[in-house]
Amino acid sequence: MRKIFLIVLLVGFIGYAGLNLAESVTPYVTIAEARATQSGVQVKGLLDKTSAPAQVGNEFTFSLQDEATGEVMRVKFDGVKPDQFDEAYHVVAVGKYDAADEAFHAKKLLVKCPSKYESQRGGE
Amino acid sequence: MTGTLLLGGGLTAALAAMTICFAQKIPSARLVKICAATSASLICAASLLLWYLIFENDFSVEYVATYSSTTLPTLYKISAFWAGQQGSFLLWLLIHAVTGAVLTFRRTSAAALGIYFLLQGVLVLLVMAQSPFAEHSAQVYEGVGLNPLLQDFWMAIHPPIIFAGYALLAVPFALSLGALLTEAASRSWLEEARKWTLAAWSLLGAGIFVGGYWAYKVLGWGGYWGWDPVENSSLVPWILAEVLLHLINLAAKKPAVLSVAHAAATFTYALVIYGTFLTRSGILGDFSVHSFAGTSIGLAIALTNALVLIGGLSIILVKAKSLPQGNMYDTHREPAFTILLSCLLLIFIAAIVWVGMSMPLLSQQAGEAAAVDSDFYVKSTAPIALALAVLMIYAFIKFGRMLSLGGKVAHVGFLAMLAAIVISAQGETVTQELQPRTTVSIAGHAVTYEGQVFYEAEHKKFYVYTVDGEVVRALTKLHNNGTDAAREPAILKSLTGDVYIAPHAPEVVDVQELILTKGLFAMDGELGYIFDDAHIDRDENNQPTQASAQITITDGEVEEVIHPLITVTPDGGSSTAIEVFNGKRRVRLTGISGDLEKARLEILPTLDKLSAMPVTATISTKPYIWLLWLSVTLICIGTLLAIKNFRREVMR
Repeated sequence: MRKIFLIVLLVGFIGYAGLNLAESVTPYVTIAEARATQSGVQVKGLLDKTSAPAQVGNEFTFSLQDEATGEVMRVKFDGVKPDQFDEAYHVVAVGKYDAADEAFHAKKLLVKCPSKYESQRGGE
Repeated sequence: MTGTLLLGGGLTAALAAMTICFAQKIPSARLVKICAATSASLICAASLLLWYLIFENDFSVEYVATYSSTTLPTLYKISAFWAGQQGSFLLWLLIHAVTGAVLTFRRTSAAALGIYFLLQGVLVLLVMAQSPFAEHSAQVYEGVGLNPLLQDFWMAIHPPIIFAGYALLAVPFALSLGALLTEAASRSWLEEARKWTLAAWSLLGAGIFVGGYWAYKVLGWGGYWGWDPVENSSLVPWILAEVLLHLINLAAKKPAVLSVAHAAATFTYALVIYGTFLTRSGILGDFSVHSFAGTSIGLAIALTNALVLIGGLSIILVKAKSLPQGNMYDTHREPAFTILLSCLLLIFIAAIVWVGMSMPLLSQQAGEAAAVDSDFYVKSTAPIALALAVLMIYAFIKFGRMLSLGGKVAHVGFLAMLAAIVISAQGETVTQELQPRTTVSIAGHAVTYEGQVFYEAEHKKFYVYTVDGEVVRALTKLHNNGTDAAREPAILKSLTGDVYIAPHAPEVVDVQELILTKGLFAMDGELGYIFDDAHIDRDENNQPTQASAQITITDGEVEEVIHPLITVTPDGGSSTAIEVFNGKRRVRLTGISGDLEKARLEILPTLDKLSAMPVTATISTKPYIWLLWLSVTLICIGTLLAIKNFRREVMR
């Protein structure tokens, strides 16, 4: 009886946590892969310095460049420009690609700065 | 060099203590005490040496040059000790070693001490592998200094408290394995283990809460907890230690619980090391906002982790047959069942956090790197936390009278914390541009942005707001060159909760740059500039240390002579803006050519003009957030109070 109770609890928990996990996992992909999928992903890239970032109202737009291939993708972030964005050398955008808008819609930005311990939380 | 020698001595003494403890034929309690005290003293000496180097501004030591500077206030020179990875490991080792010396004077079995000093040896090796005493390859005259975000009282005390918690969790681990190795069925280690676990749990909790309060007060992103790997890696051992604590208490009454109590002791300490591995090895570099630079120490910590987990579990498995068997609880109505069920729920929560924080690592093994977003943690743990709260309320009503005063306070604190987490999250958040001296109504509050107040000499400025008639200020610390270094929020506290205003990065303002040639006249449109003279101070190696210039500025009638300075720092140089003509202009010297013939001058907007610019801010309300700070204080105090009451609780 005790064992059955424990097993039911454990199985229930693993199923529950597994379902939640499957929904929340966002794989780390390249820009090309991000364009090809409809689900949530994380993309890391360099800031494309050739196009200026723009803040329009509560939407921040910039361009991300793939470190390896040089491919460029427009990113729209639902929020204001994160601190230290201008000093960033890498930006990780979390969200999904919107084919109709031809832009990556980011829910969150992680800004990686060259100096130690100085990166900042972006838009939460 | 001296530092390495001291650490080497500390290592030798720790290993000697370990050897004596494991060679049980020799009755040598005194010798163990001497070795333990020697090891602790040498490690104390190494720590004092690091503080000495910091206070002496010895920038030939890379750690000092990276985390300290001549201008750092005393408090932050003290805390620069643990500002970086190398120093924080030394701090951990220091607390571990001093605790070890104390343990030799308490009722601790030889086997437990042996395990403890083995861990101490491993910790010394980890410190030596990445030594805070390493020399700097280049000669520097001014350190980089402590990150302005970390220059805060709460952040100064946060690491020592956290590391004290980590270090003390080695005690129940060592006591548990020591008991298994000596007399597996023995329960005499429980009382001592309980005291140390309570102390560790209280300290680790306090450290986590202080870190959360700092994040809330300083970082300005609007919360106290971000489910970042660094935060999670301290939360998981804290939850596990809570499980361990309850299982230790229960094992004193129910012998069958002993085996799971042993397992909890091993898992708790293994998770302390695992969290360190995850956050300090640099493998999460792309997933965490806390960017400790990647280091080669990862493998060493991974091996330590394997040693703790595999070593601990092997001993438990080998001795499993000698451990008491039977039922962990008799009926569903007794406290034991409730306690075990709550422990299971806590393990579920810890497992979710563990999987989430390990996801990048786990998924990399599976071929495709991935991470979870922070919603995962909230969504998955909330129903379990709710079940836990219901169970706790039931248990508290039914069995609460059996708890000691400390136990009551801690449990009420824990329930209040769960409630406060939910209540304080019910606020509103609005992001908008605020024009100076214009009142807007946001989330039921009248908010006016009053402008900025500058204290450039002190490298800081304030954004001033009036909220419901009360003035609140948001501090922004400035770099030496006048740009924002750390932007803190303004918080209006009240009984019904906080109004939290976080200013965003200001608009980039136009800066005019003038290149002046010695003796020639240049104009910025209104004022004229003559570069009279310059001087560069050099050290014995002919490297520049400081550059100064004399510049005469005129409006056609009045002349004003300024002497701006550039101080050479490891990351280039720094100089402060100078106001001329009563604040009509602000200028900053940014460069002097090597032949002293040219100078570069920035013409900056006036402070009045800066202050009149609009600011974008995120304004949010945090209902009854003081309840959170109060409840976590109750948890820590209650836990410390409970240290005295073991026998009373067990005897009932």
